[in-house]
Amino acid sequence: MEMELEEIRGTFKPELIPPECGGEIDDYEEALHVLMKFVGSMASALEQVSGRGANAIVYQAGKRMGHDAGKLMEKTDNLENAMQELSQILGKEFFFEMWKPSSQESFTIERSGETEVKLLFRDCVVRQTLRRTGLPQKGPLCYLLYGYMVGAVEEVMDIKGKLDIDHVGPNACLKTLTINWGGK
Amino acid sequence: MVKIEIDEDACVGCGSCVEDCPNDVYEMDEAKNKTRVVKEEDCMACLSCHEICPAQAMEHQDIHVAKRLYIDRKVSNAINKII
Repeated sequence: MEMELEEIRGTFKPELIPPECGGEIDDYEEALHVLMKFVGSMASALEQVSGRGANAIVYQAGKRMGHDAGKLMEKTDNLENAMQELSQILGKEFFFEMWKPSSQESFTIERSGETEVKLLFRDCVVRQTLRRTGLPQKGPLCYLLYGYMVGAVEEVMDIKGKLDIDHVGPNACLKTLTINWGGK
Repeated sequence: MVKIEIDEDACVGCGSCVEDCPNDVYEMDEAKNKTRVVKEEDCMACLSCHEICPAQAMEHQDIHVAKRLYIDRKVSNAINKII
């Protein structure tokens, strides 16, 4: 198949990026697919080389991103407020909401000095990347979001947190965020 | 609220959805040997049941459909023209 390539010609000044470099929506789509394949291959190779250590590496990367994102948020000790703020920071690409089974009265559960809240991730770029590259869910890439959430919550609430993956599906993933009020 | 419909003619009674659902939304109807919905209100629309069902016997209505930016729009458009 012959590929059509349209060359962009223009004047390039050091202080100005020509707007025509911005490309069309189709260019973004292709770039997104390439990036997804690239990230998927990296995650797969990382797992092959480092084994379970891959999860820790990706977790650490996510945690750093989470701490950076958390710095933009207002500090709070209210878990529900923190979740709402975090949802705004994460944006629509990681759209999540608090979830509870119908038999449970409130979103949070107190258990031996810890608070648990279930988070339902409806939209997730990580999930899309995994499905684009045919990789299973719950692998190293999912630890990116794990680290991100923990990092952001730690930054905003100044506490220790952990996120467990309860269930993964093609349309939504359920995770449990546990807050240890004992602090850092 | 999520509305789940099971196509009883298509359901093969394998029970995969019953086992896979984390919130016990489904139950096996032993008399009919078909799946039935028992806790619709606990469905979080993860659609794991859709993925595991060999007969594609279920339909979820009024749910948040997650973005699937990995879909190739050119291929998708071509298929839509055929179907």
